[in-house]
Amino acid sequence: MSGPSITAYAKVLRSLLKKEASAIHLMERLADLLQVDLSVEDSSGSMLYGQPNKNEHRFPLRENGTIYGVLQANKASGGLIAELLELLVKKELEKKSIGSEVLGLYREINMIYNFSEMISEKIDAVSIAQTALEEASQIIDATHGLFLVYEEELDRVIEMASFGDSPDRGANIAKLNHLLKELIDRGTSSIVPRDRIANNPALLHLKSVMYAPLKVKHRTLGIIVLGHSEEKEFTAAELKLLTTIALQSAGAIESAHLFQKGLKEARDKEEAIREMHEVSQKFVPKEFIKSLGKNTLSEVALGDLAEREVTVLFADIRGFTGHAERLEPRDNFLFINSFNKRMGPIVRKHDGFIMQYLGDGFMALFPKGSQHALRASVEMHKALEAYNKERQEKNRFPVKIGIGMQNGSLIMGITGDVDRLDAAIISDTVNTASRIEGLSKHFGSSILLTQFCKNNLSDPEEFEFRYLGPVQVQGKQQPIGLFECINGDERTLYEHKLNTLGEFKRGMKYYFDKEFAMAAVTFQKVHKKNRNDLPARLFLNRSAHLITQEIGDDWKGIESMTRK
Amino acid sequence: MNKKLLIVDDEAHIRMLIEQTLEDLEDDGVELLFAENGEEALELIKKEEPDLVFLDVMMPKMNGMEVCQKVKKVLHLDHVYIILLTAKGQEVDRQKGLEMGANKYMTKPFDPDEMLAVAEEVLKL
Repeated sequence: MSGPSITAYAKVLRSLLKKEASAIHLMERLADLLQVDLSVEDSSGSMLYGQPNKNEHRFPLRENGTIYGVLQANKASGGLIAELLELLVKKELEKKSIGSEVLGLYREINMIYNFSEMISEKIDAVSIAQTALEEASQIIDATHGLFLVYEEELDRVIEMASFGDSPDRGANIAKLNHLLKELIDRGTSSIVPRDRIANNPALLHLKSVMYAPLKVKHRTLGIIVLGHSEEKEFTAAELKLLTTIALQSAGAIESAHLFQKGLKEARDKEEAIREMHEVSQKFVPKEFIKSLGKNTLSEVALGDLAEREVTVLFADIRGFTGHAERLEPRDNFLFINSFNKRMGPIVRKHDGFIMQYLGDGFMALFPKGSQHALRASVEMHKALEAYNKERQEKNRFPVKIGIGMQNGSLIMGITGDVDRLDAAIISDTVNTASRIEGLSKHFGSSILLTQFCKNNLSDPEEFEFRYLGPVQVQGKQQPIGLFECINGDERTLYEHKLNTLGEFKRGMKYYFDKEFAMAAVTFQKVHKKNRNDLPARLFLNRSAHLITQEIGDDWKGIESMTRK
Repeated sequence: MNKKLLIVDDEAHIRMLIEQTLEDLEDDGVELLFAENGEEALELIKKEEPDLVFLDVMMPKMNGMEVCQKVKKVLHLDHVYIILLTAKGQEVDRQKGLEMGANKYMTKPFDPDEMLAVAEEVLKL
């Protein structure tokens, strides 16, 4: 039966006669007025009001024919009071039932409140789906639940969460994909009619089914389906609850999705910046940026500058123009690349960095000084020797380089204009180093360095040098002492130069003492031992030439180099 | 002796909700008492010394905190178990309430089942 039970009536009657002062007062005044003596007992006979007596009139208090109490009175007019009592009980019960309905609603509000709080913390669709089904099963009596979402990219309806055993659920979802998609598109909630359930093979195990859409604004992301395997009708109130849960879930899934999307975008952006940063480092050496006291290229601004003491090294491919003419432009490019690919790592290994590629060579800076630069120079020559062996096997021309080095302070800075910035170094040292490299061609040396650069070596004993005299380079007031480092030469030439160090030195002494004949003889001897000793040949020629010349007192043997 | 439970809230519908929630306790002989504001609550507590009080924090005429403080710190009615009720998001009051001597703290909207369970536990039913 529906409505409150008889015990509920009895209970209300009891509490009414015990607690409700106004009701009792009214009843007593009425009894006074009617001069009625009365008592009330419940259906089991226990006294609720008044004293036990032998009143002859018994008025049953009933609801729908069932008696829940008895009023006894000594007069028939006590019936009026019985009617009043019945009415009061009825009203009190109505109040209670409204109260319990309100409490039910309050319970739902509390649940939804907790639910929305719970899912707002979830950031993935699956745990939102699980939480939604858990909550739904707690407030709605259901044996089966299914949380479905339509994945646009796959054009498939996917199960996010479920409870209750359903035979072939996965297969059925796949089979009914089209139907489910239509259902989702419709975006409505409904209690499925019995005959429709009976006609659907996928729902055979269920007696009642209802569903609600996962709606976000005008889109429907999926549906929540609840079912019961026993005789049970879902109510409109339960459908309303499910709809509310579905709505909350949809909102949560949407924001989780947006959150993930935002997260991914942020990561992609970060990655792009990192890549850009990495690439930019290749164009502008990070050592350069660091020298400016910055961490990344993006921090660098026009006008930033820093002064540093460094060794500047120029390396140049000998006779490149000649080689270049023999190659197609593309092959030329490939050749240069393969050359640079071998040299770059050696520079970095010795704590230098390549400041600029110059087509047929490069400029490198060594902030740690000439010892590092010289080691790199020797190693580069050795690497080329090995490379040339490979090339020889492929019948390719050998690659030779000349290296020139100078030490000095250098200003690194950012130049250009607001739209086009470039890393630049401004220094006399660079010009000098470049000219020294040019001289290596003239002298036929593999590595040349200035006196100043040599003085900067922390361990000069590591290498062997030949002094090649002072030179006057263009744009410089003072002549510069020039040294050849022989360690980069191929083995036989190196050994020759090593063995003739004393003789060569004597030759230089004769030369600067203007004893050109003696000098010529000495250089002649050295050169004869190895025809590849080009500096020896150069000084032999110079000496021989000077024998026939008028030499002034101011002659100091300074070679004036007017061209690079 | 009957156990007494006092419900204090200025909003009639909340009082009714709590009454409805705890109604079944009456079958166990618990007497439900009601007060609409802090002053009334304090008078009832002095007079009846209830075993348990559900005490709303935000109320006119002496708020729940003050009532709690008077009961626990001034009157030293330690055997009166006080549960403070306050809106969600006002959890900052929690620490203050506990400092005022409240025994427990519940947020509104309260969970009816939890409230009943707590009441049964405190009243040892």
